[in-house]
Amino acid sequence: MGILGGQRRFEGSGEGALPHGDVGTRVAAAEGTPRAEQSVLTSRRWVTTMLTLAGASLLVMIASLRFGTEEIGFVDSARILFGALRYGETGIDSLGPSSVILLQVRLPRVLLGFMVGSCLAAVGVGLQALLRNPLADPYVLGISSGAALGAAVAMLVGFGKTVLALSAISFCAFLGGLSSLIVVYRIALSYGHLPIHTLLLAGVILNAIFSALIMFITSTMNPNRSFGMMSWLMGTLAAPDYPALIVLTVYLFVGGLILFMQTRALNILTLGEESARSLGVEVERVKKTVFFTSALLSGAVVSVSGLIGFVGMVIPHAVRMMIGPDHRLLLPASALVGGIFLLAADTAARTLLAPAEIPVGVITALAGGPFFIYLLMSRKGGLAR
Amino acid sequence: MKRRQQGILTGMPFMANLAPRTFVDDLDRKIYLAKAPIRIVSLAPSITEVLYAIGSSEELVGVTQYCDYPPEARLKPKVGYTHPNLESIMALQPDLVLAPREFLRADFLGKLEQLKIPAFILDAKTIEDVLSHIQTLGRMLGRSASADGLAAQMRQRITEIKTRTATLPHPRLLYVLNSEPLITVGPGSFIHQLIVLAGGTNIARRARSAYPRLNMEEVLKEDPELIVFPVGLVEGIPESEQQVWQRWTTLSAVKRGRFFRISSDLVNRPGPRIVEGLEIFARIIHPEAFEDKIKP
Repeated sequence: MGILGGQRRFEGSGEGALPHGDVGTRVAAAEGTPRAEQSVLTSRRWVTTMLTLAGASLLVMIASLRFGTEEIGFVDSARILFGALRYGETGIDSLGPSSVILLQVRLPRVLLGFMVGSCLAAVGVGLQALLRNPLADPYVLGISSGAALGAAVAMLVGFGKTVLALSAISFCAFLGGLSSLIVVYRIALSYGHLPIHTLLLAGVILNAIFSALIMFITSTMNPNRSFGMMSWLMGTLAAPDYPALIVLTVYLFVGGLILFMQTRALNILTLGEESARSLGVEVERVKKTVFFTSALLSGAVVSVSGLIGFVGMVIPHAVRMMIGPDHRLLLPASALVGGIFLLAADTAARTLLAPAEIPVGVITALAGGPFFIYLLMSRKGGLAR
Repeated sequence: MKRRQQGILTGMPFMANLAPRTFVDDLDRKIYLAKAPIRIVSLAPSITEVLYAIGSSEELVGVTQYCDYPPEARLKPKVGYTHPNLESIMALQPDLVLAPREFLRADFLGKLEQLKIPAFILDAKTIEDVLSHIQTLGRMLGRSASADGLAAQMRQRITEIKTRTATLPHPRLLYVLNSEPLITVGPGSFIHQLIVLAGGTNIARRARSAYPRLNMEEVLKEDPELIVFPVGLVEGIPESEQQVWQRWTTLSAVKRGRFFRISSDLVNRPGPRIVEGLEIFARIIHPEAFEDKIKP
């Protein structure tokens, strides 16, 4: 990665006394990136990029609302949405089927899809920086398979009520994610430190163990039921009801904000822990914060959407190629791009074979994979320099 | 199921009767059985039920772990289901293995052929297939009389349901195979046929696969008048997931509280009890047509 290449040069150059915020940008500048606008992060560039992406997000959201088994035109959508805002959700029943479809199914699903995509991409950025590994994604820490195992157990036992507006499966998935977080943390923690390699390996091993347990549960389940479970695991964006959506929004937003507050430190952390420490970063505190936040976020995301691969790993890379490695912009920009990407993928998933659906993970990999290969080919060496 | 005349002198009517011991399965494989098999392994609950129903339970030496009907089938040695254990099958020294088309792996079948264990593959796609399977197994096992009787009786019950529901409207029905994500049955599935036969309209009739993940928007658009959940000991939709459906208040089925449960074993297994499943479906869809009959 470019960051690592720059790191060596930076360490050699001995500019240890830089103010924190500028380190990442100086590193990028040190690489001699041809595009000047990539190397320096001004607040103006931050604002323009974010505004552009936010605008794009809004457009994609509005476009996604249009498509589905029942076509609902923009004018109708707008009328239904404003009607609902004015009269509240109670008046829905009288509004006819297309308003129910729009308000109860499509809108919540669009919002959920965007949030899940954002969250996966943001966590991907955080973990790639924390683990200094370009292959890191939200599933690398074992939290996601813990969550998946929780969901599998919930489906096997078939018990449950709704908890905190979340369905039993989601709740158990979240519990599963939470417990595996504790396990990974306990395994990795040594003398109050959180060594990156142990953390990564603990995650990988836990992933393997949990996957094996899930496969075991699937193999013992009646085939008719395991089919449903596999479908859930393949990635599902259902239409949550609004209380669940609100709980989730608050949760994910707070988590995202905490991650965003670490981006300055993450910039410095990419130089290596020693350098970061000498630059005055509380390395362990940052690492733990990013780890816990990422784990809690990915656990929650998996619990509502199953395993949607690809977004968390590739979106950060794609965005990094386009706007540069400074995490202060990279993280929020990736979040928006991830949201747009997953939203577009989910719209395709629910319309291509309508009235049936395709698991959204299939679309994310099939659409995103070739695009990423194209990026790699067209900027050869850009990623692996 | 395809039934062919066998033998080189097929054209001669009397010869057809001389070679009745060759059978063609649903993969178009021919097996020759010199005499009726006496050690049979069944690799599907439905096949086990057929064997019990036609009186061949004595010959049944191995079953799957899901073979739970009739209850005494549980006592037979188990050989696995989706991944049958070849060694346990070998140990039972069967002279016939009856296997369903689902989960059948080519290497497993090849191994059986290599070991000279006759395997007969059954692939029931329609109710008619079930009846013909029962009759084929009857001929194969020397139980033609009881098998033909059973098939005739089943056929008669099916006809009665058809006549009772023929003139009635066809209400829209959603069958919830799995709730999260929503998976239902489409054309090409067994249950879809049962719904149609019982005089209902499957709201996923336009889906292109047998077990589609159905979009919730489509459900709201189609507005099912009935929602049916499969229930069973080891599978089926838990109560809590059924309650989740209450939130779709605009659906006719929710407004009128028309949620129904059906034993998944009765409708999923292409065996003799499929007619019971069909009757329950018909009673759910058209209670008015069965008012004169006492509930079973």
